[in-house]
This record gives sequence, C-alpha cells and structure tokens, in this order.
Amino acid sequence: MSDLSSPADRASPTIRCLLGMLGTDVHNKGIRTLAQMLRDHGIEIIYLGEHNTCEGMTQAIIAEDADLVGLSYSSSNYLDYTRQLIDTMREQGVGDVPVMLGGLIHPEDSDALRQMGVSGIFGPGSKIEDILDFIHRAVGRADEPAR
Amino acid sequence: MSQLADKAKGDKLVGEVLAGSIRTASRLISRAEACDSSITPILKQLFCKAGDPVLLGITGPPGAGKSTLVNQLIQHYRKHDKCVAVLAVDPSSPFSGGAILGDRVRMNQHAADPGVFIRSMASRGQLGGLAKATGDALSILQAMNFDVIILETVGVGQSEVEIVRHASSVLVLQMPGAGDGVQSVKAGILEIGDIYAVNKSDLPGADKLVTSLREMLQLSSKMHPWLPPVVAIQANTGAGIDRLVQHIGEHRDSIRSGGEVHASRARERVRYRVVEICRQLLNESVFSGAGVTDTQLSAIANHQQDPYTLAEKLVGVL
Ligand SMILES: Nc1nc2c(ncn2[C@@H]2O[C@H](COP(=O)(O)OP(=O)(O)OP(=O)(O)O)[C@@H](O)[C@H]2O)c(=O)[nH]1
Ligand SMILES: [Mg+2]
Repeated sequence: MSDLSSPADRASPTIRCLLGMLGTDVHNKGIRTLAQMLRDHGIEIIYLGEHNTCEGMTQAIIAEDADLVGLSYSSSNYLDYTRQLIDTMREQGVGDVPVMLGGLIHPEDSDALRQMGVSGIFGPGSKIEDILDFIHRAVGRADEPAR
Repeated sequence: MSQLADKAKGDKLVGEVLAGSIRTASRLISRAEACDSSITPILKQLFCKAGDPVLLGITGPPGAGKSTLVNQLIQHYRKHDKCVAVLAVDPSSPFSGGAILGDRVRMNQHAADPGVFIRSMASRGQLGGLAKATGDALSILQAMNFDVIILETVGVGQSEVEIVRHASSVLVLQMPGAGDGVQSVKAGILEIGDIYAVNKSDLPGADKLVTSLREMLQLSSKMHPWLPPVVAIQANTGAGIDRLVQHIGEHRDSIRSGGEVHASRARERVRYRVVEICRQLLNESVFSGAGVTDTQLSAIANHQQDPYTLAEKLVGVL
C-alpha cells in the first residue's frame, strides 16, 4: 500500500524536532501553536507535552534520534531547568543536539543561556520565518529552502 | 570508502544493536526512514538474529485510547521485569509532509526507564496506518532482546490491513459511541483482530458494544482454533488490563503450539514483506534515476512508448 510517487523518498531527510516543557510549567498554548506551524512547514514534531524531567527528555532525544530540541517556558526558573537539561544531555552523549527556547524569556538572561549552550532564543512575537531559518541552520541544512 | 571499511563499520553497528544500544538502533531507524539503502547489509544480519518477542499490533479509531492502553501495557510488563519496545505511528500531513507525533505524551511516565524504548514514527505517505520503515524498524527491534514489541497504528478505523502484515497478534480497540455493529462489519475490523478490547467502559454503551462484538465474531469466526475474545477495559485507570494481558499471552501460546493457521499467517506476512522490499527497490531505481531516463519518461508521456513495457523491464531487472 505504499505510495510509489511519494516525493519524500527523494527529498533530503526530514527534520525531527522534539518539543516539550520541563518541570511544573503548564502553559502549553505557545508550544502547541509552534508545533502546528512547524508541522505545516514539513517538520516532524515529537510532542512531549508538559511535566517532563531532564532525564526523561534526554532519553527521548536518544530514542527519537531528534535533530533538535525546543523548550517552552512561562515561569521564571528556566535558567536552572535549562542548565540541568543541557548537563544531562552532555552526560548522555547528546550534548551536540541544538536546543532552542521559547516563551517568556527575559532578554537580560540570553547571554547566560547562550553560554550554557542554548543556540536559539525566541521570545513572544518571534516570527516563524526566523524560527525556521534558525532550525535549518542549526541542523546543518541551511541550503534547503523552507518548504 | 572501501568495501572492507564499510563492512567493518556495519559489523560494529550490528554488534551494538545486538548488545542493546538504543542510540544505534534509533539512528538506524532514522536511516531506514530516509530510505538509506546502505543499511541493507546491516538489516540482513539483524534479521537473522531475531529473538522471539511478543509482537503485538494495536489498531482502532482516532482517540480510542490506543496510546493510553500502550502506557498501561508497558507498566504491566515492566512490573514483571519484561523489556518493552514501542513503535507508535501518527499521520504525516499530506500537504506539508510534516507531522505532530503525539503518542509519546501518554507514555511519558516511562521516559527514563532503560527497559523501555519508545519510538514515534510518521506515516510519511504510507497508507494503511503504519510507516514505510515499519518492517525495517521491526527487524532492528527484534534483534534486541525485547520481550514485547508493541506497534500502535495511526487512528484509522477502516481496513487497517497493514497491521496484520507486521504483527503476530492484533488487538483491535473500540470504544462506545463510535458507531453501531454494522459499521464494524463494513470497516472490516471483524476479520483482522485476534483480540478485541472495548475501551472507555466507563462510558454508556460499552456493555452493549461488548455483547454485539461477541455475537458478530461468533458468526464470522471461520474454522479457526482461536475465537477472538472481547474484553471491556478502561485504559485511563487500568481496569481490565490484567485480563487483556492474559488473552495476549494465550494468543501467543496458541501461536507457539503451532498449527497450520498460524504458520500460514506467518508465511503470508513474509510474502507481503518481500513484496514491500521489491517495491522499495523499484522505487529507488525509478526515482533515483539509475533505472529510468528522462528520455524514456518523455517518450511515455507523449504516448510513443507505453509504461507497461518499461515496468516489465524493471521487474525483469530485479
Ligand atoms: N473516559 C475514558 N477516557 C479514556 C479512557 N482511556 C483513554 N481515554 C482518553 O481518551 C483520549 C484519547 O486517548 P489516546 O490514548 O490518545 O487515544 P489514541 O487512540 O492513542 O489516539 P490517536 O493516536 O490520536 O488515534 C485521552 O484524552 C484519554 O485520556 C477510558 O478508559 N475512559
Ligand atoms: Mg495514540
């Protein structure tokens, strides 16, 4: 029953992006909207929802062979959570997977976040074009036009 | 790279998968999804190292509770120290090719358990409820010492025949309020299940659905040693799961005790798998250029040549 004409066969590998929230954060509207927008641009989203632990999320990165990870925050303890996640990812050998953040991130924290290893920060009002552009560059497929 | 170096690299990956490396397995599944034919020698080796896990397919309409049930099954099997792998398929958007794979959310409580491997797959244009790389992914997982492998299909609800072609036990999940008996008959679900579960038995209409499924199965059951049981469950609380697991075990025992029905089904699955691989090989030669030239395609487009002859030639090449 396979669709023989599927153009996916010839295109370059599909980008797989893991999206989720850490800790007790429950405002998932932003990340759901982002998931849909990325889906509509040809990206496969592995949606983890809220209440993830750093350990669980890292294992998901491995099992899903994710190309990048997106986290969304609406509470103020994102510095701690992000540091913990990136530490766990490094311990588990997937520290090279790019991490991007969205949600209520204070501009004055972005230097600290980048120093931790966060490679993309998208606060409220970010444009989807910018996010897509970042994703394609982060996973090393910048030469591809966004679908 | 030289062939020898390729082989050494391949052997290393095979060794890692056999030793249970989830990372290597998940990378290989990605390569299978990307139709990377250079992993075929690896898949060949792994296929012959397959263990004998329970291979359970779960299908049913969208929102029936398949993922919630998988979560309960994982919990149950983990309590008995059994390692579990899950392939959960969700649909790709036919327009963008993208997908939101959301089955994993329901199984998050097992995220950090090293005895559980959950992999989400997008259907990527494959019809019938599974992903194109399902067969390859199963070859990989079966070589990994899992006691149970669970395949969750896309929520389709009609003619999910694909699952029968990959799983040795098929569980059809239904829920009350999703239609009457005639619809189940029309949808062909009475022919594909080895076990039927009515989920959301807390909702009205569940008992009636159980009864009517039992009646219809009795009527349609062929000269078969196995009459599919029907169990009422509640996947969000775990009610009925023990009995369901018992039936899964009984079906497995029935397979193990031999019998021509099971043997012929196993042969049928292989037959289908071979055709699937042929199709992929043809796909490659037709689309990646080697097998077909633009001149040929234009000649056919202009009706100077016909597609039948070209197809025959390609199959002949195989
Ligand atoms: N009332 C009730 N709701 C349930 C039960 N089991 C699952 N649900 C709910 O049904 C909804 C769908 O559950 P899923 O497990 O995502 O269903 P699914 O079949 O995997 O859905 P798809 O993969 O999207 O086709 C969720 O909101 C569950 O909480 C049950 O026994 N009773
Ligand atoms: Mg599901």
